Amino acid sequence: MHRKILIFGVIFVIALATIPLLVHDTFYLRVITEAIMWIGLAITWDVIAGYTGYLNFGHGAFFGIGAYTTAILMMRAHWPFGLALIAGGLASGLTAAFIGAPTLRLRGAYFAIATWALARALQQLALVLNFTGGPDGMRLPPFLNPEFFFYAMLTVVVITFAGLWILLEFAPFGLKLKAIREDEAGAMALGLNPTSLKIQSFVLSALPTGIIGGVYAYWITYIDPASVLGDLVTDQAVVMAVFGGLGTLVGPAIGAVLLFAFKTYFWAYLSDYQVLYLIILGAVIALSVVFLPDGLWGTILKYKSSKSPMPLRNDTGETK
Amino acid sequence: MELLPQAIVDGLLIGGIYITIAIGFSLAYGVMHIIDFAVGEWIMLGAFLGFYLHKGTGIDPFILLPVVFLVFFGVGYIFQPLIHRVLSGKRGNPVLMGLVFTFGLALMFRGIALTAFGFYTHSIPAKFFQGSLFFQFGNFFVTIPMIRLAGLIYALSITAILHYLLKNTDFGLAVRALAQHKESAGLMGVNAKKTGSYVYGIYVGISAMTGVIIGSIFSINAQMGADYTVFAFFVVVLAGMGYLAGVPWAAFLLGLVQSFFLIYLSPSYTLLAVFGILYVILLISPKGLFAKGV
Repeated sequence: MHRKILIFGVIFVIALATIPLLVHDTFYLRVITEAIMWIGLAITWDVIAGYTGYLNFGHGAFFGIGAYTTAILMMRAHWPFGLALIAGGLASGLTAAFIGAPTLRLRGAYFAIATWALARALQQLALVLNFTGGPDGMRLPPFLNPEFFFYAMLTVVVITFAGLWILLEFAPFGLKLKAIREDEAGAMALGLNPTSLKIQSFVLSALPTGIIGGVYAYWITYIDPASVLGDLVTDQAVVMAVFGGLGTLVGPAIGAVLLFAFKTYFWAYLSDYQVLYLIILGAVIALSVVFLPDGLWGTILKYKSSKSPMPLRNDTGETK
Repeated sequence: MELLPQAIVDGLLIGGIYITIAIGFSLAYGVMHIIDFAVGEWIMLGAFLGFYLHKGTGIDPFILLPVVFLVFFGVGYIFQPLIHRVLSGKRGNPVLMGLVFTFGLALMFRGIALTAFGFYTHSIPAKFFQGSLFFQFGNFFVTIPMIRLAGLIYALSITAILHYLLKNTDFGLAVRALAQHKESAGLMGVNAKKTGSYVYGIYVGISAMTGVIIGSIFSINAQMGADYTVFAFFVVVLAGMGYLAGVPWAAFLLGLVQSFFLIYLSPSYTLLAVFGILYVILLISPKGLFAKGV
């Protein structure tokens, strides 16, 4: 079973890596790169929300911290891109560890509102500070090489996906997080240390997000508080993960690809009806919450396990 | 120093409006445990209904308030079963599902409003309350626009009516019982679904009416919703989620914070302060200033 997944994964990544050889149209390459980026953002959000059960409504902040750190180090300190990128990821991870300790004591709705408020506060801070460029944002040196950014984004997201897969699906770490999600007091009674595990999962969610933000900043070459620290990054990641299926890694990735493809189609071909995009997106979210509470992938998994002749254990450990 | 009384008066006048933005929201949270991301959109939709009714009939917006309330009470009453379905049943994470569902609603409403009403900014002129009161005590000057005073009086009367409804009627008793313990209230014969529908209807109705008031004090456009969602969250968290008695104090505090930042500091720091205070309050006392939230 494990070997099958490994072989399938390797073939899939190789297939993805050959895309720039086949697709020469810059527009499509750009769309695919961004789709890969959203996969990364959706799965990293799912680590803290789907696996650990803490709804982070400030995921965009980590993206923005990574983007701004990379931009500031490259522009003001003239660091090379690679180093600045790593620094951006570390800055995100450290922020998560630092704010996680007090914030992760809150539960449910309180955690959601606190992270949301913090992310909005960071956005306002970036608007009034001088070294972030304020509302004008920051420009990075243009580096117009779509293939480079495709491979950079692919590398970051594939490493993130593989790392999360190993940690959450194979290693006991994933089970520990799920134990916290299901019953935090019970997990503590089993000898787990929820505080430390929650902070670890928060950092695990934030660090790759920061690196993705850094790649995004250098790729787009222009960042401002609204584009990288605004609500939209968080909102889209949340919607993608919920639509795809929480508590899995494949689900959010599928959700990211589907919703991003839909969004791009709208913006590219139906730009006169951009407002209609809001209506349809809103309707899709509301309807999928009502009719597909497990998300697309969760529903497929459930259907498969109900068809299977052998009772399969599902996510929550109940036998069906 | 000459501006201090004016800053306080402005803060209190604005704070009054924040009471009505947040009080229905807090009531809905207390009874149904829903965090409604669409609160600002209800305000926006109500404002536009008021705007078009006023345009069509020429009746003063303050007289149109009951009509707006009734229409949106009906809308809320119809929407509630859907929300009830999202929040109950065998779902892993009702809080998340509620948040995401209402977030979807908010996006949809904003999109519909942008399509139907366009990007323009309007205002709803109220003929009854024009001009302003002017006071002078030695060196201090205070100006009170009549329309803002009317807004404050509206907010205080809504609060009083709600207080009467909750404390002195059978319906209020049922609502408070539901907020305290849903299962026990059910055993005592309280119909959770029906009462929930009324509560959600009242919340949506109050929000919509407040939209009309906001339209005659400030201005309205299809994208205004998000700002008021922020203010509603701030007030409700500060007051303690679901703790109604705390709402007026938290609302006045928000009004004062805003007017002091506007007069003494740069307005660009206002939102930073609002979010910063919100985060710190949540860390120090998640159940609000009075530690009475649910």
